[in-house]
Amino acid sequence: MSSPLPVIAITMGDGAGIGPEVVVGALADPAVYDRCRPLVVGDARRLRQAADVQGVAVEVVALESVAQARFEPGRVDVVDLGLLPDDLPWGQLSPAAGEAAYQYVRVASELAVSGEVQAICTAPLNKEALHAAGHLYPGHTELLAALTGTEEVSMMLSTPKVKVIHVTTHIGLIDAIAKIEPGLVERTVRRGHEAMRASGIEAPVIGVCGINPHAGENGLFGAGEEEEKIEPALETLRADGIDARGPLPADTAFFLAGRGDYDLIVAMYHDQGHGPVKVLGIEAGVNITVGLPVIRTSVDHGTAFDIAGTGKAEVGSMIEALRQAADLAPVSVG
Amino acid sequence: MSNSVTRPRIAVTLGDPAGVGGELVAKLLSDPQTAARADLVLISDEAELAVAGADAGVPIDYAAAGADSDGRPRLHHTCARRPGEFERRVATEAGGRWALDNLEIALGLAKAGEVDAILFAPLNKTSLHLAGMQEQDELRWFEDYLEETGFTSELNVLPGLWTARVTSHVSIARVDEGITRDNVTAAAHLLHRVLHESDIAAPRIGVCALNPHAGENGSFGRHELDIIGPAVADLRAEGLDVSGPFPSDTIFLRREEFDGILTMYHDQGQIAMKLLGFDGGVTVAGGLRIPICTPAHGTAFDVVGKGVANTGSIRNAFDLAVRIAGKRALAASS
Repeated sequence: MSSPLPVIAITMGDGAGIGPEVVVGALADPAVYDRCRPLVVGDARRLRQAADVQGVAVEVVALESVAQARFEPGRVDVVDLGLLPDDLPWGQLSPAAGEAAYQYVRVASELAVSGEVQAICTAPLNKEALHAAGHLYPGHTELLAALTGTEEVSMMLSTPKVKVIHVTTHIGLIDAIAKIEPGLVERTVRRGHEAMRASGIEAPVIGVCGINPHAGENGLFGAGEEEEKIEPALETLRADGIDARGPLPADTAFFLAGRGDYDLIVAMYHDQGHGPVKVLGIEAGVNITVGLPVIRTSVDHGTAFDIAGTGKAEVGSMIEALRQAADLAPVSVG
Repeated sequence: MSNSVTRPRIAVTLGDPAGVGGELVAKLLSDPQTAARADLVLISDEAELAVAGADAGVPIDYAAAGADSDGRPRLHHTCARRPGEFERRVATEAGGRWALDNLEIALGLAKAGEVDAILFAPLNKTSLHLAGMQEQDELRWFEDYLEETGFTSELNVLPGLWTARVTSHVSIARVDEGITRDNVTAAAHLLHRVLHESDIAAPRIGVCALNPHAGENGSFGRHELDIIGPAVADLRAEGLDVSGPFPSDTIFLRREEFDGILTMYHDQGQIAMKLLGFDGGVTVAGGLRIPICTPAHGTAFDVVGKGVANTGSIRNAFDLAVRIAGKRALAASS
């Protein structure tokens, strides 16, 4: 019998870091299996070691094919690539672990492209180890984009009440404003719209923030950035039947979204979106990448080599990343 | 002797006659504590005060212009233009003109040294523009009228948390022109001074960064390293409890640690402040010779005449006006 729950590929991340521990730790929570069907891509032996140090009783099962996965609480289904050396120490930079982490992401993206998984949730990789293995990507996002042939992605944050997608992110504020143009705004809104529809909202109502105070107040504040950079995009989108409203004063947009006026808010720059989402209360930080063939969520912490292998790693962020991946994954599959 | 110091003279205007301003003032004055704490000068006329009393369900007890006030609020008869009855629940040129004229009379009294503070009930931006107000915001107008030359900033006040801004109603693309070491220092001094005047002995001030992640060591802009950081160091060298720059997306989560937060631009503070609650919020025009205080909310056309307008903000605005004016009078007399 098919299940309506999405299959989520969980990449184990760098095997020398806390990735294996947060993966088995999160999957020891039976409630995770009520929301999704988790499928780990990683190393079965390492996960067993991690379960021992975390002190959790789960059965780690190396699968011979995805079809063998049973997705039952207490059982961790692993696509076992078996790439890690037997004696890999915890907390030390290892090119072999970097190479393995790369391969987990590669396999997960193949599963996504072939439709076998509906979302990807990534445990942290170590950039230095990744680079030492010859894979010169700044991080997961760029790696996944390259592996799936995706040109541009957007960053989303989600709280139970408000979701926000960003037009620009990690760039200085003044440079960010200079980078914003109608095409980028339009593509970002489309990615957000598609993600909302895929997650089951038939006609998402999207609120698009302005750039200036009070969204420029009809030209009173600012140099007409709203008219130049945002409004042409909104006209195009609306002509295509996308319910994109704005430009909205950012200082009221999130308040309105919080009371249910919008399914998604589009923020023009990093702090415009991150600030309110954090004030509204993210229990554990999760980054969401939108625009890949599937939704991808990630924990907001790194490999934490200093505590890897000690059982001290907190699993809250991974549980939340899985919850958000399940929340945004396409509905009615399987 | 001390009585004159602790009973500041406060000019009060009822704001836009289409809105809830009159009702708020009438309710405020119905509390005997109000007139006990200040000599109140109502810039209004009999008709407006009658409507205000009717809206509130409690008549205003005031002394007619020229009469012995006997501790009661005194009517300072307005010479503002009145079209007969004002339309309610709608922005009109006549309403905007009335509100502006009355505020101008209050400013005149302040300039002449006849009042120590101004409290004004909510204005309506649309009405003000219909009435031909040219300035970008009220603060700019006050500043021009009072011929102030020092640093001014709108201060946004929630119970337990104040914000001031280094830049305000300017284009975000040009915000960095206003972010200078002198301006950051001046804004922090202003915030510190007003916090102190509002009875906080040793204010703790947190300073926002301009760029995401506070610039991440210069990767996303150098304003933190070159300007804001050195300004904070200057302020600390003066002995002020000022710290930062902090990433603006998380500083509001640490609000318990600060009495005031200094933001670099309008939305950086206003997004968070509006999410943290409209109830009780006050706006103070800071950096002028007298405190000018007003509720943070608007004219609330939807509840006009229902007697249900929330008085939290106007009470807090009055309280701040009394405290700040009282402190200044004390400082001037010593």
